[in-house]
Amino acid sequence: MKCDEYDVVIVGSGIAGSVMAKTLTRAGKKVLLLEAGLQAGIAMDKEGAYQNYQFYLDTYYKAAAKVPNSPYPNLPDAPSPDVLDIAPIPNSCSPSTKGYLVQAGPIPFASDCYRGPGGTTLHWLGSTPRMLPNDFQMQTKYGVAVDWPFTYYDLMPYYEMAENEIGIAGDVKEQIGPDVEPVKNYGKDYVFPMQKIPQSYLDQTIIEITNGKTVTVELNKKEYTISYVATPQGRNSIPEPAYKYAGVAWNKKTQKLELEKTDAEYDPVGSLWDPYTGQRCEGNSSCVPICPVQAKYNALKTLRTADHDNLDIITQAVASQVLYDKGSMDITGIEYKKYRYGNSPIYEKGIAKGKIYVLAASAIENAKLLLASGIANSSDQVGRNLMDHMVMLTWGLLPKKGFPYRGPGSTTNIPTFRDGDFRKEHAAWISPIDNWGWAWPTFAPGSDVSNAVGQGMFGKQLRDHLSDIIPRQLLLHFECEQLPEPGNRVTIDPRYKDQLGNYRPVIHYNASEYMQRSFEAAKKVSDQLYKAYNVQDFTSYSAQNPDHVQYKGKVYNFAGAGHIVGTHRMGSDSNSSVVNPDQRTWDHGNLYLVGCGNMPTLGTSNPTLTMTALTYKAAEAILKQLEN
Amino acid sequence: MSKFFQKNNPKRQRFVPEDKPDKSLLKGRAMADTAPPDPEEIKKRLLENLQQAIKLEHSTIPPYLCALYSIKDGTNEFAVNTIRSIVVEEMLHMVMAANILNAIGGKPAINTKDFIPGYPTKLPMIDESFIVNLEKFSKASVDIFLQIEKSAEHPEHDGDDYHSIGEFYMAVRRDLIKLNELTNGEIFKGERQPQVTSEQYYGSGGKLIAVYKLEDALEAIDEIVGQGEGIDNTIDDPDQEMFGEDIEYAHYFRFNEIYHGQKYKPTDSVHDDPSGPPVNVDWDAVYNMQLNPKMSDLPEGSPVWQKMYDFNKTYMALLNNIHDACNGQPSLLITGVGLMYDLKYKAIELMKTPFGEEGLMAGPSFEYVQ
Repeated sequence: MKCDEYDVVIVGSGIAGSVMAKTLTRAGKKVLLLEAGLQAGIAMDKEGAYQNYQFYLDTYYKAAAKVPNSPYPNLPDAPSPDVLDIAPIPNSCSPSTKGYLVQAGPIPFASDCYRGPGGTTLHWLGSTPRMLPNDFQMQTKYGVAVDWPFTYYDLMPYYEMAENEIGIAGDVKEQIGPDVEPVKNYGKDYVFPMQKIPQSYLDQTIIEITNGKTVTVELNKKEYTISYVATPQGRNSIPEPAYKYAGVAWNKKTQKLELEKTDAEYDPVGSLWDPYTGQRCEGNSSCVPICPVQAKYNALKTLRTADHDNLDIITQAVASQVLYDKGSMDITGIEYKKYRYGNSPIYEKGIAKGKIYVLAASAIENAKLLLASGIANSSDQVGRNLMDHMVMLTWGLLPKKGFPYRGPGSTTNIPTFRDGDFRKEHAAWISPIDNWGWAWPTFAPGSDVSNAVGQGMFGKQLRDHLSDIIPRQLLLHFECEQLPEPGNRVTIDPRYKDQLGNYRPVIHYNASEYMQRSFEAAKKVSDQLYKAYNVQDFTSYSAQNPDHVQYKGKVYNFAGAGHIVGTHRMGSDSNSSVVNPDQRTWDHGNLYLVGCGNMPTLGTSNPTLTMTALTYKAAEAILKQLEN
Repeated sequence: MSKFFQKNNPKRQRFVPEDKPDKSLLKGRAMADTAPPDPEEIKKRLLENLQQAIKLEHSTIPPYLCALYSIKDGTNEFAVNTIRSIVVEEMLHMVMAANILNAIGGKPAINTKDFIPGYPTKLPMIDESFIVNLEKFSKASVDIFLQIEKSAEHPEHDGDDYHSIGEFYMAVRRDLIKLNELTNGEIFKGERQPQVTSEQYYGSGGKLIAVYKLEDALEAIDEIVGQGEGIDNTIDDPDQEMFGEDIEYAHYFRFNEIYHGQKYKPTDSVHDDPSGPPVNVDWDAVYNMQLNPKMSDLPEGSPVWQKMYDFNKTYMALLNNIHDACNGQPSLLITGVGLMYDLKYKAIELMKTPFGEEGLMAGPSFEYVQ
């Protein structure tokens, strides 16, 4: 195509950028997409896509630590945050600069994301519960944080679009918990595109471990009944015959995005290199960091189905500055640096021009780019309110073998503490049952082998020991909802730049007392669960771990969930938010921000689904603006 | 619009022309012209032939799997992807043949001793001079694959025998039409329960067709023949692009690309060899598998014998699984996926195990075991 001026310029090919590109190009708009990662990663032809993905897989197989970014290239020209770089922060005057993020603390931010074609959906787990209606009204209901500028029910049609595009497998009828009922939250007769992924053997073991006896726990003198829900997820399964939507299309007449009906059965979207590979989840169990058959959704599947006659993509192009007219405040271009190859300091500058601009570069990168350009910040909210699920882990040995690693990473969650009056005092949480043994907190099973060898075991004794403990490993998450706080933020500092001269994000991060109280509460719940399950608790927290807090004399460790949210919040007035309910910046009439950065609060859901729903809402607003 | 995701080129199907003479009715069984056809006799022949069709579709799978598993990990990506996709389609054909048999009240037999051919072998029902082996990936073995999948363009010939898979299916097709007519459609039971559907079978070109009536059965046969042999030579439309990135073409042409180390380009004719971009085929990056290995070649109980036995046990478990799935329990097929992975791992283990002579490796023998 190659035009001088496009209808829309998008920065980033993750799920927000890809959904935006697909929706706009299919509505006939000319789009230019800038992607910071390598050209090879965006290959849309079968052979190129296959070769590139095999390279990721090889890298993963050879990696010593199988962390979320281990399969993917980390480029000096467009570096990604990495959890392996988390280090203690001596004091705020000397931040930890070990990795890409400059960690000013007081405690290090614990999550990563991926900067490259397809974005973080390459390594996401794929869990897609919706947020709860009460999550949108935290101020009204519980007197904390802020309300969203619209309700859950306003977002419902866009949730359905997101569930269509990602291809969700799940059973709506099973979505029951605090503030969730199938008809209330999903509408009468609504079904997901695919039937639920079977719950893992481990999950069934736990659900049946009390022999049908209900498990109750006490918290703050209140009794709660523990329930289990099969988690909806973005991985392929058996098509649901009752699902009758084809895809999202722009209706010029109504000026709305609509889900088109069809009589054809839903067709699971296979891998990029072969539509017949990955039509079902095979239970390879390496979802994070990489699904070997692409049965798990990734954003490149969306980008591939954009209208490529209306789409130009420039890769290896790192957006460095958003240019604007000081009179009209309109954005006039995005300056980018196009490097020659992944570690080359040589680059050429270019300027991308369009009528409308969309930043979809991740919560951290969007905020950084806005700060670097000195724009969109009349509210002083850019970069602030950085949030994540602070994940407290507990682990123990089951009384009988539950055989983790059978099936995908997580298929069941405990929703019991996702909502309740306690949110006035401490964070809500969701508790997924983790299917990867103690891998996360202890690097099991490798560490089990080295520990046992260290104790002098070998031969049959060693084998017997390992086959006794590894199949009994249980890991529970308590993913606690962090609230927006102005001090948790992304800033920039001229002292910290990457090799292309772009800013590195400086992160200021802490766990408030609201969070600390939730760790205390979650640990109390965990103790009661383990007692009811007859699980031997091996949880141990250490002040040596850089991500620790001390509360009432006890140490708690937390991990990041990779749910990086909130750095350019959406709101109903320009004084306290960066974007309006259409996700257009208050300050610039032709600049939209998409991605998790818009979310005013986080809820207890994995944010990708909600963020994708929001992106459809933004795409609709952009199409309206372009046509009027 | 984007040309991505064009899954099926409808032209890839070879719709058997109605006006072609049917050898099975003309020769030997040519009672049709003189006496009214006996529905019982046609039904008996169909039950037999459809069981043979299941056997025939299955008989290509072990040779294709040997070639596939003999290729060393990380090499010959093009050949691996091609052969893998073809094997999955052969399994699809096998299950569709079972669906047709079930639809007319038959009982597929998939786990009996005589179900598995003893390699080297001729293909069941197909009287051609070529012999099919269990052997490693090589130019010679791909040449045999081309003969298996070759088009139905044969000169008129005498005798009851079939010279190609297409010819055999043409006879089945005729019988189905005739029997449906003679029984006023009663022959198709329309029962839902024994049919394997796309819910249980996925991962291949073309959808699995459940068979409830004649039209379903004919569509299934067209799909089987179309995927194998591809475009009928009588259809020669020079304006239609037959090849290209997102067009699925028949097995014959896909094997031909491997054989020549070259892809077809969109303007190539179906009558010529491919003339598009080269693909990398490394005939040497292959485990040197013994030709047609047998358990009886080995001392019983020896470690290699044991590995071969374990492989065959897994293979039998898989056949039992498919048998049960095609005899009233379709949902069992979903659990067969694990067995397929197991089969692959055990086959590759054999390929890495020295066997007899210097430099030779063992391989899967695909034998009936208890």
